[in-house]
Amino acid sequence: MKIRDITIRAGRSLKQAKARTLLTSLAIGVGAFTIVLSLAVGSGGRAYTSNIISSNTNSRAIYTQAIQDFASDPTKPKKYSDTPTMSMGGGQGPSIKLLKQTDIDKITNINGVESVTPIYMFATKYITRIDQEKYIASVETFDSSVKLEYISASEGDIKDGEVIISNNYSEALGFKSAEEAIGQTIQIVVEKGGANTLQPEIKSFDFKIYGVIKQSMLAVNFTDRLQITKNDTKLLYDYNQQGSPTFNTYAGAIVVVSDNADIAVIKSNINEAGYKAQTAEDLMSFIFQFINVLQGILIGFGALAVLTSVFGIINTQYISVLERTQQIGLMKAFGMRNSDVGRLFELEAAWIGLLGGSIGSGMAVIMGTIANPFISKALNIGDVSLIIFDPLSIIAVVIGLVLVSVASGILPARKAAKLNPIEALRTE
Amino acid sequence: MIEIKNITKIYGKKDNTLRALDNVSFTIPNDASVAILGKSGSGKSTLMHVMSSLDKPDSGEVIIDGKNILELKQKEVDKFRSRTMSFIFQSFFIQANESCYDNVSLPLEIADVPTSKRKAKIGAALEAVGLLDRKKSRAHDLSGGQKQRLAVARAIVNNPKILFADEPTGNLDSITGGIVEDLLFDYNKKNGVTLIIVTHDSDIAKRCDIQIHIKDGKIENIEGLKS
Repeated sequence: MKIRDITIRAGRSLKQAKARTLLTSLAIGVGAFTIVLSLAVGSGGRAYTSNIISSNTNSRAIYTQAIQDFASDPTKPKKYSDTPTMSMGGGQGPSIKLLKQTDIDKITNINGVESVTPIYMFATKYITRIDQEKYIASVETFDSSVKLEYISASEGDIKDGEVIISNNYSEALGFKSAEEAIGQTIQIVVEKGGANTLQPEIKSFDFKIYGVIKQSMLAVNFTDRLQITKNDTKLLYDYNQQGSPTFNTYAGAIVVVSDNADIAVIKSNINEAGYKAQTAEDLMSFIFQFINVLQGILIGFGALAVLTSVFGIINTQYISVLERTQQIGLMKAFGMRNSDVGRLFELEAAWIGLLGGSIGSGMAVIMGTIANPFISKALNIGDVSLIIFDPLSIIAVVIGLVLVSVASGILPARKAAKLNPIEALRTE
Repeated sequence: MIEIKNITKIYGKKDNTLRALDNVSFTIPNDASVAILGKSGSGKSTLMHVMSSLDKPDSGEVIIDGKNILELKQKEVDKFRSRTMSFIFQSFFIQANESCYDNVSLPLEIADVPTSKRKAKIGAALEAVGLLDRKKSRAHDLSGGQKQRLAVARAIVNNPKILFADEPTGNLDSITGGIVEDLLFDYNKKNGVTLIIVTHDSDIAKRCDIQIHIKDGKIENIEGLKS
């Protein structure tokens, strides 16, 4: 008997038991739904993350640190090393090894390195504006390669003495709109380093607002930082840190690689020079890992649903074989081969898998497409798709489920194939 | 020509055995209509199963047109049966949910008849039993007599050489039964098909060329066979 004829007959007998077929395939549909949706959420999440990474970090930048000594036994006293360190939680706590100016120079001399900007770690006391409240804020160096979402900005590039603030600070400092803030002056107040703690000296630095940006997509609460030029950062840093033991040592440095150099090569060169170098992608890889784990868990649930549906298919097909004993007997009497009888039932299972897989994937696509704008809105991430359907992976899921169904149909199919036609045709 | 030689079929094991067929031998010429008569449990159904290779006897030979079908492999037996034999059963065994057309199509599909040739064959078979106008209807909607006529159409669609009918009128009243009977005998005469009817109805048996009486697994007597 030809496969085509068997397939048609298999489809037809399923059509005759519509409710049963539908219910059995719905079980597998739940699995398909979950798996397809998790795949879509996974690829959406990855796309979103790499989008964030590319817009919030400089892909030509390498974050460089001194090699840290976390491996040594924390229960024993540590050996002294000449490298400057920054203690966390007192002398017994972990300490971070810092980079010295000589390290910065050494890295600057590596071939293909365009610039090295140390990370100036210092604290501002507060920021304010005339007749306004004082606010706590932190400051970082402006990086021209990082895309910022300006609400409003001055012409040209940011110059020394200018600052970029987020709309949060703009509002807090009493500006009615972002446009109004541009060109206005704010004060960043810094404490003088090394001064007598009983008589703290503070100094106020005036900055003109260059631009107002949207709160960073990555920002949680009020961590969005004010951005000023490298020179200004150095100025504030020097005033704040001069006289402190860690003055002119840095927790890290941002190495920008020149356009014609291979970032991977430079990274390994810096590593070889005795530092720990990480690209933006390295730093963000944990997010991908998180997404993958989450996706894995979701797919696991889908797999459980599929496993359950396997028993459903086996059960349904066994009942189908019992119900159609006489039909099987008749087919065999007319010379249908045992293997073809088995195939008939396997193909029925395949149809169930195809139906369930298609229903589940279809529902997933429909629901995902409907839910997408709402999710984006709820998470306040703008016009970004968090659910991305890949037609190829959907097809792969459906094919996979068809194969699972066929495998589930093997036992009932074997029962049908082995059925003795004489017994089957006995009516008494 | 069908030659049955020393067929013995035993059911059960050791002490609890039943000789369903006990050293049965006879020969049926081509084109003949044959009635296998006997009470229930006499072994007449078993004989039909053995002759149609649905069941294997413990000993003996079934030679059809010079070929001992008991020596064939299962695959070849299936193929042989799909091309030369056909069946009609007391309980019709038609697929109630399928259309008449699809019911009749089954033997053609099993015998790998090309799709292009099927339509004409199915049409002719339905025509022969007077069900051409019901081609598209579901078999479920047919009356008992029509169902058995549909079964006849299914049995003759692939031009078998041997047509087995197991109590073909057992579930029908005398009028509809008569129609089915006429169909079978007409087909036997017109197409030179060997018709083997298993029955306990002596009226049908009388219309057959040969009557083989079975009792307790043995041939009681054979009438009508010219030796």
